[in-house]
This record gives sequence, C-alpha cells and structure tokens, in this order.
Amino acid sequence: MSKISSMMDVGKRSLSNAQTALQTVSHNIANKSTEGYSRQRVDLVTNEPIGSGNLRIGMGARASQVSRVNNPWLEKQIQREQMNLGQAETKADALGRVEQVYNEQGTKGLNHQLNEFFNSFRELSNTPESLASRTMVRETANTLVGTFKNMNKQLKDVQTDLDGQIKTTTEEINQISKEIASLNEKIQLVEIQNVPANDERDRRDLLVKKLGEKVDITWGEGNNGMLTITAGNTAILVSGTSANELKAAHTDERDRVELFYRSTDKGSLFNVTNQFRGGKIGGALEVRDDIIEKHLDTIDNLAYRLADEVNTAHEAGYDRYGKTNNSFFDLPKDIKGASETLAISEGVQLDAGKVSVAARPDSPGDNTIANIIGSLQYQKVMDEGNSTMDDYYISQVGQIGTISQRAVKTFESQKNILDQLTNIRESISGVSLDEEATKMIEMQKAYDASARLIRTADEMFDTVLNLKRL
Amino acid sequence: MRIADKMQYNQVQKNISKNRTDMADLQNQAATQRRINKPSDDPLATTRVLASRTEEKTNAQFVKNINQAKSFLEFSDQSLGELSELLVRAKELAISQSNDASANPQSRAMTAKEIEQIYNQAVQIGNRKLGERYIFSGFKTQTMPFNIAGEYAGDDGDLKVQTQKDQFLAVNLPGSKVFMGKGFEVDGMVRPGQITPQSIDDLEGIKVREQESKQMMEEDQESKIQLRGPANAGSPNHIGEKDPTNGDAGVNIFQVIKGLEISLKTNDKEGIQNAMDMLDQSLSQVVLGRSEVGSRIMAVNGSQDSLQKAIVDNKIVASQLEDADVFKLVSDINKTDAALKATLDTSGKMIQPSLLDFLK
Repeated sequence: MSKISSMMDVGKRSLSNAQTALQTVSHNIANKSTEGYSRQRVDLVTNEPIGSGNLRIGMGARASQVSRVNNPWLEKQIQREQMNLGQAETKADALGRVEQVYNEQGTKGLNHQLNEFFNSFRELSNTPESLASRTMVRETANTLVGTFKNMNKQLKDVQTDLDGQIKTTTEEINQISKEIASLNEKIQLVEIQNVPANDERDRRDLLVKKLGEKVDITWGEGNNGMLTITAGNTAILVSGTSANELKAAHTDERDRVELFYRSTDKGSLFNVTNQFRGGKIGGALEVRDDIIEKHLDTIDNLAYRLADEVNTAHEAGYDRYGKTNNSFFDLPKDIKGASETLAISEGVQLDAGKVSVAARPDSPGDNTIANIIGSLQYQKVMDEGNSTMDDYYISQVGQIGTISQRAVKTFESQKNILDQLTNIRESISGVSLDEEATKMIEMQKAYDASARLIRTADEMFDTVLNLKRL
Repeated sequence: MRIADKMQYNQVQKNISKNRTDMADLQNQAATQRRINKPSDDPLATTRVLASRTEEKTNAQFVKNINQAKSFLEFSDQSLGELSELLVRAKELAISQSNDASANPQSRAMTAKEIEQIYNQAVQIGNRKLGERYIFSGFKTQTMPFNIAGEYAGDDGDLKVQTQKDQFLAVNLPGSKVFMGKGFEVDGMVRPGQITPQSIDDLEGIKVREQESKQMMEEDQESKIQLRGPANAGSPNHIGEKDPTNGDAGVNIFQVIKGLEISLKTNDKEGIQNAMDMLDQSLSQVVLGRSEVGSRIMAVNGSQDSLQKAIVDNKIVASQLEDADVFKLVSDINKTDAALKATLDTSGKMIQPSLLDFLK
C-alpha cells in the first residue's frame, strides 16, 4: 500500500538529487577553463521499488555516483603525441637559431669572407710590390679568422642555451614527478572506498601529459590505481607514492650538462643521458650533441684545411725581405676546435711584409705564390679531394637549411595532429555552457517539482488529519 | 558532434594565429623584397644563391685584374711602338749613310751622334716605369732593367694575372725577350708563356723542368764553338745574328744600334749595310713582341666582355632565386588579409551567443 510519508520521502530525496546535480553543474561551469578538466555528471539510478500486493511502487531515484566523462585511450594517445610535439618544438626552435649562424641573406657570413680572402690574394697578385696590398690581405684574413671564431662561438652559445633548457626542464620534471606521487596516494585513498577520484585523476592525466612533453616516458597503472612512470629505459620517476629525481649536471669529460639518475637515496648516480630521445629533453640533446657537434666539426675541418693549404703554399714562397718558410696562419694543433684556435701567425700579424708572394727570392714583382693561394679557391681540397672549400661550406648551409625546414614542418604537422586530438577530447570531455544551462533549467524544474510534491504530501496529511474534526 | 566551449575558443585562437603568422611572413617578404630570408625558406635555392654570389664577386675581382693588366699591356704596347719608330729612324739614317753618293765620312760622324741619341732613347724606353714598376724587368720590377751599356739586370719572369677561372695571362714582356731576343722559341714565335702553376705541386714540377732545361741549355752552350779574340769582340755587327756563337733566336737591339753607331764612326760602309739587315731583324722582333701584347689586349677585352655578362647573369640568377615576386606577393597579402578579416568577423559571431543570453 502506498504511504504519504514515503511520497514525502521520495520528494525529499529528489530534492537532494536535484541539488547534487545542480552543484555538479556549478562545478562544471566553474571548471570550464581548467586545463585537463573532464566534465562530470551525476549518475541517477532508480531506487528499489517496494512491493505491496500486486503493485510494485517506485521509490524515486538516488544519485549513485559522480563520474567524469573521459576516454582514457584517447588520453594515452594525446600523451604520446604530446611527447613528439615537445621534441619537434624544441628541435625546430633550436635549429632556427643554428640556421641563423649560417644565414647570409643580408649579413656577410663565412662564404662572403672566404671569397674576400681569396680575392685579396688576387688583388695582391696585381701589385705584389705594394705593402698596402699585403696589409689588405692580412686584414681580410683577420676578418676571416674572426668570422670563424664568431661562428664557433655562436654555435656553442646555442649549445650552452640548450644546457640551460635541459637544466630547467629537469627541475620541472622533478616537480611534476613529486606531484604525481602525491596524487597517486590521494587517488588510492579515495578509490579504496569505491568512489572515483575524478578531479585527482584529471589532474594526474594532465601532469602525465606534461611530463611526456618534457621527456620520453612509459607508464602503467596498477590495480590500486597508482601510476608507475619510467623515463627513458631505466629511470623510474614515480613508483607508487614515492618519486625519484633526475639530476642535471656538468660533467668533467665535456663541458656539457648531462642527466643522472639515482634509484635510491644512497645509490650511486647513473648517467642516463643517452636514454632520452623524445620530449623536450630528447630534442635538445639531439640538436646539441648531434647536429651542432657535426656542424662544429665541419667548420673546424674547413678552418684547418684552409690554414694547412694556405701555409703549404705560403711557406714555399719568399716575402718582401727575400725570406722563405714563413707561415701565414698558426696551424691549429688539432682539427677539433680549429675554428676557434685559428690565428694569423705572429710574423705576418706584426709585419705585413712577411706575406710571401714570390716564388723566387728578391723578385718583388713575382706574384706566383699569390696566384697559387688565389687558385686554392678552385682546388678540391675538402672531402678527400671531392669538393672545393666553397662547395663544402655551401653544402653545409644547404644541409642546415634542409634540417631546419624539416624540423619546422614536423613541428607544424605534429601540432596539427595534437590540435585535432585535443578537439576530439574536448568534444568528449569539455564543458559546454549551453548544455550546462539546459541541465541547470532541467534540474531547477526538478527541484521545483520535488518541492511541489512535498507540499502536496503535506496538504494530503492536513486533509487526513482534518478528517476527524467533522 | 558535440561542441564544447573550449573547442570553439581553441579553434578561434588557432585560426587567428595561423592567419597572423601567414600575414607576418608575407609582410616580411614584402619588406625585404625577398622570398628567401633564411636558408630553410628554400635550402636548394640558398646554396645556389651563395654560389652565384661567390662567382659574381670573383668575376668582379677578375674585371679589376683585367683593368690593371690592360693598363700594363697598353703601356708596353705604346713603349714598343716608340721603340719601333726609333728603329725605323735608325734604319733611314743607315740607308742614307750606306753609300758614298749621299754621304761622306763627315756626315757619317754626324749621323753617329744621332744614332747615339737613338741608343739612349732605346735604353730609356727599356727603363720605362708604370707607377712604381719597371715594365721590362720581369719579376724584378723594382730594379732598373738596363744600364747605359745595355746590360740587363732584370729576369725572365712573366707577371701572371688571373683573368678568369683557371685562366692566367702574363701582363708583361721581359726586357730580355723583346730587347735582347732571349727566350723566343726556336721558330721565333713568342708564346703566352709556360703553364701558370696553380698549386705547390705544379710549382715544384715547373721548377724541376726549369732546372732540366737550364742544364740542357748549358750543355748546348758547351758544345757550341766559342770564338775568341777579335773574331768575337771586333765584329759587333755579327752579335745577335743566328750563328753558332749565339743560341738565341733573336737579336740584341742595343748591340745592333751600338754596332751601327760604331760603323758610322769608323766609316765602315759594309758594317752599315750589315746593320741595316740587323735593324730589319730588330724591327721584326719588336713587331713580334708588339703583336703578342696586342693579342693579349684583345684576349683580355674578350674576357672582360664575357665577365661583365657573367656578372649580370649571376645577378639575374640570384635575383630569380631569392627575390619575391611582387605581384604574387601583393595578391597573397590581399588574400590573407581577407581571410584574417573573415576569421575575426566569424570568431566574434561564434563566441558571443550562448543559451544564457537568451534566458530571461
């Protein structure tokens, strides 16, 4: 048999359901712009009906749980693409700066100076007697040496900058790892009561994505809802409720920042630099250790060959004072770093008369050596006799242009992929104000109706109670 | 599809930023008038631009070299022209004094004075300077090539100047060649000189070959009949002639003139007649030298024309590769501008309305 009191009860519960739903609406609206937020909804289920005789009377609804609308597989995909984006972005950014070192549109770079250097010898061959022409040669050579040094420095500056980026990123990684570990703990505490920890999970998903943007990670969720995150191959950043740190430090072997990992507080540090290929750190490492190093090698190579070839010719010649065996450059000791250590020999630097132009002693008009040095521009002295110095350098410019172009294109397409995925995610999990407004009206009406129900029940009570006074 | 608010904002932001980026890029192209502003804009074209700029600048240097070479060659030509005029005058005098009908010992003695002047002028021509350089002293441009006795102090160096890629040209004739007849080929032709060394290996090779030919010359000289005493010194007219005492193909112009002077002074008719032959030889030697200089001037003029054309060509190549197509650029800018305005306009419409605006 139906009871007025149970009707009042259903009304009361319905009121509170509507209130819960409205509160969730307000939570959604408030978090409309929160990064990584998934909209939440109240799952309403009907109460167990009460049977009386042939009738089973419905007992209203109850809120079973507040759940978030979210596709975990999509989140995983986004995380992976974000890792590629982080890598592509850092790479494109750094290569854009490397490229500027080689940019001769508008500025006078190595290609120009190298040509000026050879032309100065050609000019000298016009007037080998003149001290002014020799001084010109020396000054042009000084500019060339300066250009080599400057390129070396600019490339190393980019490396140093990347060092800084790696250091800052590592600190961010450690911060994030710590937060994820503490979220692991919270989620476990909440979910042990069989209640989904919506907001904590949203936050953790977001942090995993951010972590993946910085470094390549692999991760898995345990039965207790806790994440284990490994960076590279062996560096376990988060395990359960504890987080381990990465350490970025300069090493003695080479003056560059490398990454270290220690599994326990007292354990020893492992160098894990080589394990990182993805994320911002992977991108920075690739540009710093691979691309820039190679380009430094090539300008070193060029500087060394130039010094060696010019010296060979120059030493065979005779200077203004009839002396032979003068070197023009101080030949760098090693090819490595030659672009930095290249210098004009002291003799020539102090006295331009020591520039050797003649192939015979005491022949002031003899320009044979100047002609030979001028001709070096067309000699295939690079790449084991396969290319001239001009070709060698110009092909470097082409190469860096191509790499940079490719990096920018990869970055753009990666950004597009991620934009699309984010759109899909927002389509599923994002908050729509229209929807929330509709829900708000719906729930407000439900609230109104429930209140009306209680009043009706109340009036029914009154009616019943007034029966007796007649 | 369910559209969440954030999607709209993201989309608006993305589209506006894309249009703005395009616009900034086009504006940069318009401001620099260049399609390529960094290597990655077009890596292949960048390398070609660099190569053609190098070529352009090197060609400009070659044009400078050629101008220098031309002034040297033209001055040599002018000097040799004067020398040949002197020789013609000397020959006229020799003809007029070669018989007794028009001359006598007194007139010959007087003419000898004029010939002496001609001799001095010839020496002066040999010592001509262009700027600070003696033009007839080979590599020893700072040494006066001829003393008053007509002895040569220069060397046989060819001042080579690069006029094109892989092409060198001597700008001088050493005095030993044109005045003393040394270094002519056996057939009497003057050739533009040996190979120009372009590397140290070349230079070493040439040095070895020079050494060998020097040795051969010496051996040659040793096998020649040496005339001694009056047979040699007393007959100046024969010096420089192609005889076994002299391995050279040409004549020594100074000695020829000097010989004529001595013949005139000594009233030696036969000597004067001999000298006329020798003067003819001298003249043809100078003409040979002059024609050599002339052909070099022609060669550099040719090079200059082709270089100047190449400079323009290189500029065109670079311009075609790196310069922006202004018409296309302006139309692109207009297109992007229209797209940007449309994006802004629709963005405003898309973001504004919400259900909340319509609830009263």
